[in-house]
Amino acid sequence: MYKARTAWLFLIPTGVLLLTFSIIPAITALGLSFTNYNVFQPIEWVGVENFSRAFSDDDFWTALWNTFYYWILVTPALIVFPVFLAILVNQQLMGIKVYRLIFYFPALVSVVVTAILWTWMFKDDGLFNAALQAIGINPIDWLTDKFTAMPSLAIVTIWQGLGYYMLFYLAGLQSVSKDLYEAAELDGAGFWAKHFYITFPSLKPIIFFVTVISTMSAFKEFTLMLTMTAGGPIGSTTTLVYMIFEKAFTDLEMGYASAVSTILFVIILILTLINKRALDTTQ
Amino acid sequence: MELKTAKLQPKIQAKKSRKLSLKHKRNILRWSVSYTLLTLLAVVTIMPFLWTVSTSLKGQNETIFSYPPNFIPENITFENFVTVWNTLNLPLYLWNSVVLSFWGVILPLFFCSLAAFPLARMNFKGKNVVFMTILATMMIPGEVTMIPVYLTISKLGLIGTYSGVILPGIVSAFAIFLMRQAFISIPKELDESAIIDGANAWQIWWHILLPMVKPMLATLAILKFIGAWNNFLWPLLILEDSNMYPLTVGLYELKGTFVSNTRLVAAGALIALIPILIVFIAFQSYFIKSAYSSAVKG
Repeated sequence: MYKARTAWLFLIPTGVLLLTFSIIPAITALGLSFTNYNVFQPIEWVGVENFSRAFSDDDFWTALWNTFYYWILVTPALIVFPVFLAILVNQQLMGIKVYRLIFYFPALVSVVVTAILWTWMFKDDGLFNAALQAIGINPIDWLTDKFTAMPSLAIVTIWQGLGYYMLFYLAGLQSVSKDLYEAAELDGAGFWAKHFYITFPSLKPIIFFVTVISTMSAFKEFTLMLTMTAGGPIGSTTTLVYMIFEKAFTDLEMGYASAVSTILFVIILILTLINKRALDTTQ
Repeated sequence: MELKTAKLQPKIQAKKSRKLSLKHKRNILRWSVSYTLLTLLAVVTIMPFLWTVSTSLKGQNETIFSYPPNFIPENITFENFVTVWNTLNLPLYLWNSVVLSFWGVILPLFFCSLAAFPLARMNFKGKNVVFMTILATMMIPGEVTMIPVYLTISKLGLIGTYSGVILPGIVSAFAIFLMRQAFISIPKELDESAIIDGANAWQIWWHILLPMVKPMLATLAILKFIGAWNNFLWPLLILEDSNMYPLTVGLYELKGTFVSNTRLVAAGALIALIPILIVFIAFQSYFIKSAYSSAVKG
């Protein structure tokens, strides 16, 4: 019906953009990992030097640990809590739509505004410490203590992600047939039994989707660290991407930064494959 | 089968009527528990916003951080909004954000639906390879390619320009995928009859197919608008002249310079939030739809 030439004409503009800003950069990033490119000096092939440097670099291991730490703090919470939030807002109640909108809204707030809002919540004389004071607990240096900085950022991420992932689960819940629940109720199934035998199994594909998406975004997060803690205190919120960003654009060590981003890419790839494997075996 | 259900029927009915008053009581309990939980969670969710609104309305003489915290300003004043609007480049930042968001919506919509058309409605050699390659790019995180993309923009001489900010974000595999799904659901006969009437591929795409996928275009437009309006990293990396900053980067600078004047920063943050809030309330149903199309169908 259409000529092949027509098809290619439609594909070329987008194809060029995709090649220039995604495919070629991915290959270039891999290539740069094996060079000492630093903007000023001529580019030189250094083999695996960047990688061996990374593996003996304490900053790299700290950043890797911080990334995993942030992921562990954030992802399980963002897989589990939104399910219950979705069950809560999936009821036929008056004004339920307004609640859905309220829960979802934080997902749309830009990272800069989020940072501004939450820096105040965490201030030494901010709202969180006022609440602690009310129940007689000493104030905490939320963002300026190296032990609480990352959990504080995790709280912000969870606040922002709850409603976002809730919406995915809600979409899933609404495609579960109501007859199933009615039948279960007739059989005398209570809240937990109903959800354990009907809701959770039918949400499995969405749970997988949320796991992948929230894992990916946890491993890539760094603008929150940039705007709220600047990677500190004492590097305790420097994630891998933050390290890449600093090495590349502050220290201009593009080669070394590329090597770290190659490692990051491999980690993300492995995690995705594990996730996929886990889903395939459970089905 | 019929016999069985007939036998069961009276039993079920008896069970039902016995449970009726109990059910009524249980419903009231369920409602009160649900509303309490919902309201509690909603308050926690909007607490940072409430606090910001309250701060932005407080005058210079009123304390912001106090114990116990004071949510209702003693004298409500709008002077912070006026000050932040007049002394900073806020109107300029706002305009820059509008410009960047406009192109950040129009261009992705155009290019992604352009590529989705042949992938959905034409048969040609290599189609599957092309489609698989596009889907595979979803696996490449933007953070990994950040350095080469920056170097490419620099080579093209686009550092400090809006083109440099917009270009890397135009094409996304996800948007192409969504548009392809929308195009596939239209009956093929439409193209055939249009070709018989003498229309060319471009005309079919522009005049017949695009109007039919308006709901998906609207969903994508909203997603892209939110992304473009909130875009922070690329403008920060690419732009050099502070007169070209969008609101996000402007606020980031503002946060640094006006760190002592919390009221002004609060007013600025709220001004940045308003467009998002308006779009969100006006197009709420599309947000639900976009979640549905990406999680359930995808």
